[in-house]
Amino acid sequence: MNAWLWAGASTLVLLVPCAVRALHGSTVDRLLGLELGGVVTALALVMLAEGFDRSIYFDLALVFTVLSFVGNLVLVRFVERWV
Amino acid sequence: MAWSDVLVAVLLGLAVVVQLGSVLGLLLMPHVYDRLHFLAPATSVAPVLVAGAVVTREALDHQGIIAVLIAVFLFAFQPVLTHATARAARIREHGDWRLQPGEAARRP
Repeated sequence: MNAWLWAGASTLVLLVPCAVRALHGSTVDRLLGLELGGVVTALALVMLAEGFDRSIYFDLALVFTVLSFVGNLVLVRFVERWV
Repeated sequence: MAWSDVLVAVLLGLAVVVQLGSVLGLLLMPHVYDRLHFLAPATSVAPVLVAGAVVTREALDHQGIIAVLIAVFLFAFQPVLTHATARAARIREHGDWRLQPGEAARRP
């Protein structure tokens, strides 16, 4: 294993506390867990793509980052008024 | 081990530590507005560190450009999401995001 894979695996472990936050607490707290989990996932994808030397997965990380932002923004608007 | 490998390892280690701090802040802080502040390091500092590591190894080829794009996108747009989340928390708490009657404005 190289440094990229170590860093990617460590980052994936950090998804567990994000999931804990996303599963317990108030609605806004859960949203915070989801937001941070999205960013952590995107960075883990970048690290693992570099570690496995698969450049195509960088595109996946970029698309995931943009879609995660848009999805979270829509969810925040719903949480604000209707959920 | 080349100096670039050492630099990459240091940047990646720092990125993981920054993300760990953010996750711990999200778990341990007592109030939702306190927790909001801990999104910032993971969404602004850590992506820049990871992009720096990728550019150090790959230069500005396909991987490097994508990593920089991700870092710039998160750096620019994640504060918008954080602001919207704080606004949603405030509206859920008080029904409106503006200062409520009888609520003192705290100024530094």
